[in-house]
Parts: sequence; C-alpha cells; structure tokens
Amino acid sequence: MSMQPQVVAELRSVVGRDHVIDGANDLRIFARDASIEGAMPDAVVLPANSAEVAAVVRLAAKHRVPVVPRGAGTGLSGGAVTIRGGIALQMTRMRRILEIDPVGQTALVEPGVVNQELSLAAASHGLFYAPDPSSQKACTIGGNAAENSGGPHCLYYGVTTNHVLGMEVVFADGSVHWVSGDTPDRIGLDLCGILVGSEGTLCTITKVKVRLLRQPPTVATMLAAFPTVESASHAVSAVIARGIVPAALEMMDQVTVGAVEAHYHAGYPTDAGAVLLVEVDGIAESTRELMSAIREVLAANEGYAMREAKTPAERELLWAGRKGAIGALGRIKPNYYLHDGVVPRTKLPQILSAVGEIGEHYKLPVANVFHAGDGNLHPNILFDLRDHGVLDQVESAGEEMLRAVIEFGGALSGEHGIGLEKSAFMPWVFSPDDLYVMHQVKDVLDPDGIMNPGKVFPDPDRKRARLAGRTGLAIEAKWW
Amino acid sequence: MVKAPAVERPGSAEEVATRLREAAEARLAVTPVGGGRASGMGDSTDPCDVEIRTSRLDRVLEHSQADMVVSVEAGITVEALQAALLKKGQFLPLDPFNSPGHTIGGLLASGWTGPLRMRFGSPRDFLIGIRVALPDGRLASAGGRVVKNVSGYDMMKLHLGALGSLGVIVAASFKVFPTPLHDVTVESSHASLEEGLAASDKALGLPLAPSALELFSSGRVLARFLGSRDAVERMVGELGWSKTDASAWTQHSRRGPENWARIAVPRHKLRPTLLGLPLDAEWWASPGVGVVHWTVANDPERVRDARSAAEAAGGSLVLMAAPAELKRAIGAWGTPPPTLALMQRLKAAFDPQHVLNPGRFVV
Repeated sequence: MSMQPQVVAELRSVVGRDHVIDGANDLRIFARDASIEGAMPDAVVLPANSAEVAAVVRLAAKHRVPVVPRGAGTGLSGGAVTIRGGIALQMTRMRRILEIDPVGQTALVEPGVVNQELSLAAASHGLFYAPDPSSQKACTIGGNAAENSGGPHCLYYGVTTNHVLGMEVVFADGSVHWVSGDTPDRIGLDLCGILVGSEGTLCTITKVKVRLLRQPPTVATMLAAFPTVESASHAVSAVIARGIVPAALEMMDQVTVGAVEAHYHAGYPTDAGAVLLVEVDGIAESTRELMSAIREVLAANEGYAMREAKTPAERELLWAGRKGAIGALGRIKPNYYLHDGVVPRTKLPQILSAVGEIGEHYKLPVANVFHAGDGNLHPNILFDLRDHGVLDQVESAGEEMLRAVIEFGGALSGEHGIGLEKSAFMPWVFSPDDLYVMHQVKDVLDPDGIMNPGKVFPDPDRKRARLAGRTGLAIEAKWW
Repeated sequence: MVKAPAVERPGSAEEVATRLREAAEARLAVTPVGGGRASGMGDSTDPCDVEIRTSRLDRVLEHSQADMVVSVEAGITVEALQAALLKKGQFLPLDPFNSPGHTIGGLLASGWTGPLRMRFGSPRDFLIGIRVALPDGRLASAGGRVVKNVSGYDMMKLHLGALGSLGVIVAASFKVFPTPLHDVTVESSHASLEEGLAASDKALGLPLAPSALELFSSGRVLARFLGSRDAVERMVGELGWSKTDASAWTQHSRRGPENWARIAVPRHKLRPTLLGLPLDAEWWASPGVGVVHWTVANDPERVRDARSAAEAAGGSLVLMAAPAELKRAIGAWGTPPPTLALMQRLKAAFDPQHVLNPGRFVV
C-alpha cells in the first residue's frame, strides 16, 4: 500500500519541501541497510530537530503509517528496512555535538553524529567514547543506541547501554521525553535501559547523553599467529582464565587474514590458521605486566610470531586490517552475509568447527572475524549474488549456523540486533511467555504498532524459521 | 487490630509464580522479601497481606569458571555467592551497605550499590540474564547466559531498582570478574571537608584511578586500588597514604543507620551537595560516583532542604530507612520523574491489580 499524496504534502509542510523524498528512483537508495533484505519506503523524511520528529510521528500516528528511524544504514539485521513501507525517518540532518563536558565527562549529541566523530571531538579533552563498532567511521550514535551496538573494545569497556546516560526520545504518540540523565540512582523505572536496544520499535531517539572515558595513558597492541582456529580459541579462554580481561581480544581465520593482508599489507601472517589481535591499556606498568603474562599464555597455547606494535602508526595499521576485514573479503566474493551470534567462550572451538562444516555442506566459503574474548562470533558467508539460487543457500547456511550457536547455549545476537533477519528465530530462545512480556512493553509504548513494525518479534505472516520444527522450550529451560 | 501478613516460602520459581497469581486473583497485597535488608525502603504503607520470601531459593544454579558466568536463584545471599565464586578465584563487585544478609534478588530489586560501583558499575552493567515471576502467574526470562546479548528487549532493566513492583525476581545470571591480581587499601585523614575533597580528587585523578574511594564526614578517606602489582604499588606510592587492612571494606559495608537517606547527584556536583549538608551531619560518600549516604534525624525540614538542593542539581534524595512519620511528612522518593505516567502504564500492564508492594514504590 503506498502512501496517500495528501500525507506526503502534510509531511512537506512539517520539514520543508526539500526534506521529503518520494521519487521512486530516489527512494531506492533508502530501501536497504547493510543486511540482505530490502523494501521500499513510501517516503523518506529528514527532520531538523526534535519538534519536527514529533510532528512527523504525530502525522504518522494520525494516518497509521509506519515510521522507521534510520541513521547511517549500516545496520546488519534489517532494523532500518521499511518492510511495511511508510516513512523512513532519516536522522542524519540532526548531527550536531551539542556539548562535551570535560568535567562531568559526558557528551550530549544529536542522533546523527557519527560514532568516530564523537571520539575525535572528545580526544581534545583527553576523553573518548568507548563503544567502537567496526563501522564507526559511518554509523551514528542514534543508531548505536537503538541497536545497543558493540565493538572490539566492548570486552573490557561494555556495550552501548553501559555508556548511554540518558536520551531524549519521541514516542509513538509524538510526545517528547527525556529518560534518565547523568545522575546515578534515578527515581522510578529505568525507561532508558529498555529503550536502548529496542531497535526503533518503541521510540525515535532525538538526543543522546553518553559517558566519556579518560584516554588510557598507554596502549599495547599485539598480533599472534596460531596453527589452527582451535588453538587460538583455547588461547583466548586461557588468557581470561588467567584473570586478565584485555581491552580487546579479536580473532581472524586464515581466509580473512589472506584477504586482509592482500589489501592492507599490515604484516599479518598468511600461513597461520588463525591470528589473535590483543590489546591492553592502562598505565605503562600495567600494560607491560599484562602483555608479558599474555605472551606467556599465548605461547603455552601454540601461539607464535607474536609482534607488538611499536608505534601508533603500526597499531593503527593492525586495527585497520581488523576493522576493514569485511571490505577486504570482497577480494574473494563480491557479496557477503555477516552473521552475529554469541556462545559461551569455551564453546568457541566447537562452534567454529560446526560453522566450518555447515559452510562445506553448502559449498560456500566462510570467513571468521570476530570478538573472541566475548565469544561473539561473526561467521561471514561469501557468495556471488549472480549465482543462480545462491541466496537461498546462503540463508539456509546462516540459519543452521545460528541454530548451532543456540544449541551451544548461546544468544541470537551479540551486537547486530534481531531486526528483520532473526525475528523468526526468537522462539528458539524465548518462550511464548518471555515474548508475551516483551510485547506488553511494546503495547504500552506503541499501542498502534506504528514504530518499525515487523521487527524483533516473530511475524506469522512472514518467513518462518526453516528449522522451526526443531525448536523447543528445552533450550529455554536449560538456562535455569 | 493489624493482622500479621501470611508468610509464604515457595520452594521453586514455579511456586513463586503460583503463589503470586493466587494472591493477585484474591486482590491480596504482596511484598516480596529477600534478606529484608532494604525493608525500610519506600513509602510507608499498611502491612501487606502476603509476604513471599525467597529464602528457600538459595542455590547456585551454574557457575562456569571458564566462561566467567554464574546463574543463581534469587534467594541466595551475597555472602554465600561470593564464597562460592572465591573458591574459583572469581567475585562479583557487590558490596551493598547494611550487609551482611542481602539476597541477590533483593539487591537487584532495591538497586542498592556499594563503593566498588565506581570501577565496575552497578549490577545494571553486569547482570546478563533474569527470570521473573509475574502477577498473572507467568515466569518470564530475558537476557541469557552469555556476556554480550542484544536479543529482544532488555527486560532486565525494568526490574532493576523497581523494588519488586513489576514482578518477583526468581533467578539471575551475571558476568563475574577474576579476583584482582593485586588489591591494596589505603587511607588518610583530613581536618576539613575541603581537604578531604581535595585528597579525594587527587586520588581520583591518578592515571590508574582507585576502584573504590569513600569520603567520610569525619574527614577520613578510604581508597582501594586493584590491578597489576607494579601499577598498584606505583599509585599507592604516589599518593603516600597509609596502607590499611582490606577488612576496612567489610566493616564499611556493615553501615546501616536506623534512619538514613541516599543522595545521588551528577558526580561533579557532589562538592556543593556535601557543603550544603548541615555542619553536624554524619555521612559517607562515593565522590567518584556522585552518591552520599546521610544519617538523617527525624527532622523533615532539614531533609526536605537537602532534597530540594539535590533535585535542583538534577539528582534525588531517597529515604533508605526512616520512621513512618518522616516518610509521611516528606515521602520516601521525592519529586516523581516527568515520565511517571509512562511508568504507571507499564506498572498497570504488569500488575493490573496493583498487588505488588502497593503504595511503596514510585509507581
């Protein structure tokens, strides 16, 4: 159902003629995020401020038109896809850093501020914003808060929800509210806590107050090679078991390393079965002691060719390889499907071997590049969209990998969100009662269901999990 | 004559849910009780009809040392859980006041924290899964048993600090932490509040900040450094305070005055908050967090003034334990947040009969 021209006219009267896009060709750009499935919005609306957002949402509520907030469109689970049409609420005109408070160590930003821009701005005060998704050069703080994004340094520092102090949000009735703030121990229910990570299904975020941290005086970054993914996984567990929680502990398998090295020439050992990128920070005494203990643990677990970055430039290059890994994989196949799941850290060897077998079964190359310290897996299925029927194979393989993650006691998503991509799998981990209770929150905050419909909750009208027959509450019961 | 509440001690999560549903159907007022350490918190109410005590739900369900994750039933005490973790060289940074005897469920529901919050955050930051019994008899879980998880709404946040007003927490999973490599406690004494604050600032400004730092109205400052040996020793050396025994923290956690209030402000506004308290006030504070615990007298005017100042700074003053007349005079919570109506709608969805702790919490 396309939107009535009268609604478009009303939207134009709110945000101005040029800030509503409804031409078919122009809309196409907004039909996708970084996930696999797309759908055309009826209109893209670019508000300039909270008041305009509120007015747009009120219009949408009046006409019962879906509203899908959208940041940079880098999301990997289809959170920003307008699967039921309606308004793509493009937040990137609201991109001012409103305040950096070096004393209180906080920043107040509009949702369209790019993650890396915030850290660059904070750096002049010796501060930084900790959550660092690999897409941080493009992704926005509003999108990060909506998805509760992670990143390599979340192992030590925590994910987005641990750093959001408060937000200004627009609810589905167009009301504007501040939730929480920079005071500890707020009175009443923690609305901010439940809105972070709600994937645009409960509200539109219009301002975010975040915690900034002092930049560590010393950072030490080391690359280590391992003969196999398995030995590298054991090394990860051994480091943590030693009582050391590094700032970051990342793994790349041989497929990934080959592509990264060809592209970045960062000195990654291409003969290795896997490499670990380890970072510790703090005062020099601490990083020295920790790095020497880590070297010992890695060596005892078949680690070799350990190389510590000697200069900031060298460190940057090591990280460029890691953060640019997904792009570099384009050398192998033009398309990729990046999955996200979390297993208990000790299950890494088993899950990686299961993922490998699934890839082989479907004859699809799989590259692994992920947050090993958290057990946060990112199997990346590589394919060429021009191959007939390949997408179906890719989706099936992905679903089987996720199913394996759940069977190892894991979670459906560590940082990408459920969105469109995984909503059908929610019953694998959540009982009908669990989902009912989550839906109670949805019904209170968005009774007409206009906010990002078709996401997070299983949609009976859409695709079902292929493996649905094998789901069971047994998995849920195992938790307790 | 006031009737004593019926006391239920369910032996399983399912039984908690059943008892709760039965009470809701009969419109009986229910108070969930863990260790009873925070029973003074909240507005003064009539005695409830039913107490649901979690004391029989006291098991560690699973502790995976290598995954650094623990799942427990809600009625386990903090001390019992810490003892189990310590055997495997791990711990949870939970050090609430009015210890010992807090249960995990009670601690999550009350939202109480202690000095270690400065380094590790509150349970909000390391709770990874929760299971809650609801007035309609459902048992609902959220989160999971992995350290990073964004599947579905973060329902854990709704129950943290909600004082059992939406449901009864029956189980929880946490990310645990390795016992610190090196753990040193130091202290110093100061003649004035200004000197005490200056000393606190000096310690907090070190490149390796203390993991806990408490400032007392007596002028004493107590700080705890955790980390690698060389780093900790360098910091302790730079600070030059005298080393003291770690048992100082256990003693500190036993503080639980008969009448006390918690003031929370943005941490950079703690100084004016402390300077604004009556000169003879007895208090202890976490300057790195922005929280003060104040032993209050039964003097509504003084407490009301302090609350006004805290709220003007964007914060709050909550009575942790106080005589009923003081609570009636000024209320336990202070000015409700502007989002109160939304909170009330959530409360109505989860507890439509208002059987859980009626009149005690903000909603």
